[in-house]
Amino acid sequence: MLDIKGLTKCYVEKKAVDDLSLHIAPGTIYGFIGHNGAGKTTTLRSVAGILDFDEGEILIGGLSIKADPIGCKRQFAYIPDNPDLYEYMTGIKYLNFIADIFGVGSEERRERISKYADLFELTNDLAQPISAYSHGMKQKLAIISAWLHEPKLVIMDEPFVGLDPKASHILKGMMRELCDNGGAIFFSTHVLEVAEKLCDQVAIIKGGRLIRSGTMAQVKGDDSLEEVFLELEDTSC
Amino acid sequence: MLKILLKKQLYELNYTFFYDRKRGKARSKATSITYIVLYALLMIVVIGGMFAGLSAMLCSPLTSIGLDWLYFDIMTLMALLLGVFGGVFNTYSSLYKAKDNDLMLSLPIPTRYILITRLLGVYIMGLMFSAVVIVPAVIVYFVVAKPAFAGVVGSIMLVILVSVFVFILSCALGWVVAKVSSKLKSKSLIVVVLSLVFFGLYYFVCFNASELLQKLILNAAGIGESIKGSAYILYAVGRCGAGDWASLGIVTVSTAALLALTYYVLSRSFIKIATTPDKVAKREYRAQTVKMRSVSAALLWREFRRYLSSPTYILNCSLGTVFMIFVGVFLLINGGELTELVEYLPFADGFMPVILTIFVCIISCMNDLTAPSVSLEGKSLWIAQTLPVAPKAVLWAKLKLHMLLTAVPELFLSACVCIVLRPDAALCALCLIFPVVFTVFNAALGLIINLKHPNFTWQTETAAVKQGESVMIAIFGGWIIAALLAGIYYLLSSKLGAAAFLALASVLFGAASAWELKWLGTRGSEIFRYL
Repeated sequence: MLDIKGLTKCYVEKKAVDDLSLHIAPGTIYGFIGHNGAGKTTTLRSVAGILDFDEGEILIGGLSIKADPIGCKRQFAYIPDNPDLYEYMTGIKYLNFIADIFGVGSEERRERISKYADLFELTNDLAQPISAYSHGMKQKLAIISAWLHEPKLVIMDEPFVGLDPKASHILKGMMRELCDNGGAIFFSTHVLEVAEKLCDQVAIIKGGRLIRSGTMAQVKGDDSLEEVFLELEDTSC
Repeated sequence: MLKILLKKQLYELNYTFFYDRKRGKARSKATSITYIVLYALLMIVVIGGMFAGLSAMLCSPLTSIGLDWLYFDIMTLMALLLGVFGGVFNTYSSLYKAKDNDLMLSLPIPTRYILITRLLGVYIMGLMFSAVVIVPAVIVYFVVAKPAFAGVVGSIMLVILVSVFVFILSCALGWVVAKVSSKLKSKSLIVVVLSLVFFGLYYFVCFNASELLQKLILNAAGIGESIKGSAYILYAVGRCGAGDWASLGIVTVSTAALLALTYYVLSRSFIKIATTPDKVAKREYRAQTVKMRSVSAALLWREFRRYLSSPTYILNCSLGTVFMIFVGVFLLINGGELTELVEYLPFADGFMPVILTIFVCIISCMNDLTAPSVSLEGKSLWIAQTLPVAPKAVLWAKLKLHMLLTAVPELFLSACVCIVLRPDAALCALCLIFPVVFTVFNAALGLIINLKHPNFTWQTETAAVKQGESVMIAIFGGWIIAALLAGIYYLLSSKLGAAAFLALASVLFGAASAWELKWLGTRGSEIFRYL
């Protein structure tokens, strides 16, 4: 579903991501962990096609994000760490706008909006302007808009920040359901307990370089993910 | 503690002199000094000079017939108008909408200290705006009327009293704005309508200023009598400036009482208003099947939503639309006088249609919708970038919005020009075509420059809409190009016919626009993708 090969992104002073390679197969929830400034967001933004990179290749469903960005973008949904949505629209108008762009038919969009808005208890607020939403409500709306067009891949940067426990639980269920239906999830998180329980595979990044990746069992062995992560943080230079 | 808070408030007031928000960096000492000097020049020399001129016009005729007080009344009212207009929204935003209200209220600071420091900021703003009117008025009075000791003391006291009047009025109106604002539904529409009414009044007063002043001077005695009879407090304020001790006492005591009352009301309501979130009337959502839109229609709809949601964007970037319709109607009504005038002027055939066509272009440059449109994407730029649409489709939608709001009224105005001047069919067609081509050129130019120099770090939309290279170039660049065109035609009019000139200009601007559109579709799209 997603192939990252030798991704390198340099800013003026340093390499934010250095020769990073990952493969995410359909049906996989892939966690991406690392400390602040490790290069997680840079990687995710590069995959989403909004950040140009210097070397390497990113393939989504076999299509290159550089050569065929529109083809790639039809297959995925991206949710950034801070869901800055169009504050001048109401929730429902935003969802309809996204549905129009992805060509979601009238009936399907009605069903899906109804399903996910009910799940997140956002239905009563859909007619409100987004400017009146709390951070958590915006996050929920961003998630609904991401799922609205049934993407094959969902890329999320810290998706659980700002969500209440119930919404977090619902999101985890949605992630699993999407993967069970052949989709894939690539997300970054600082919450190691969530990553440990939810992810099929995990990658740890430090200073822009991948320091460990694989299935959860391969990465953590008999220890907890937190212990492994802290140990790697201390030892890898 | 109060001293620390006052220092913070003063720093906030002058923040822009020392910090470049766009670049997120502190300004160098030299840059800060340059900005301060330029600002002082603008306030003292330009605006102060303008009011000094006005004072000079009024002072002599009024003081010579013993109506010194009426002179001070007129200047006081102007100072109040400018001071309150400049201060009322500042009061609302700095008192009730300050971003650090929550932080301040959570710290162990007495609420009255927070209020006093905020109010000091309001007072300084009011003082600045009122002083540029009343100080030149007093100086002119000293020079022209050569007052006695009482007049000198009275007029100096009036400067202080006016600043306090402005402060009281700003606080009262700011309080009203805060109260009303939390309950209003269609804020954008109301702001736009009120602003247009204000602009209309402003232009009416400007166009009729000399006539109004003449009427005022001629009827000064009568006006003075009616003020004395029906608005004693206004009479007393004017008498203060003229040095009447009794009036000075009455006005000073009344002002002090009003000031105390204002502080009392504000201190009672400050915390409640500052911490109450704006009420948004809850709209009920009813699920319904909506009609699917095409991608281009959806993107254009998005641009319209953006436009309609922001009074700042509407008022700053599409005032030309209103002007074009207004001028068109004006031409249709008063066109007869223009045709009579043209007959007497020694211009070649077709001269006036060309000049008026260029005039249409100049008005159309007041619309600069594309120039801040990329910056206005702000922090939600990621949405447009991750959608499965070509970046050029997003850029085209911005151009379409500009064209719909500019080319349509522009065609109306051009048609009015043709109806009034009745050029031949070929020239008529070119009078309609050229402004539209010019608008495509200008719209694309604004978009290109904004793509090259976007500003995504704005705190308020005003910064994106009013500041920046793209906005300046789209407006002033358009005007300069149009003025150059008029100059070139003036020089060539004896050799080149009007139709030939407009045809040539249409071809040249058409070619330039085609190049701009091609650039936007290729290089511009690539830039947008990775902004």
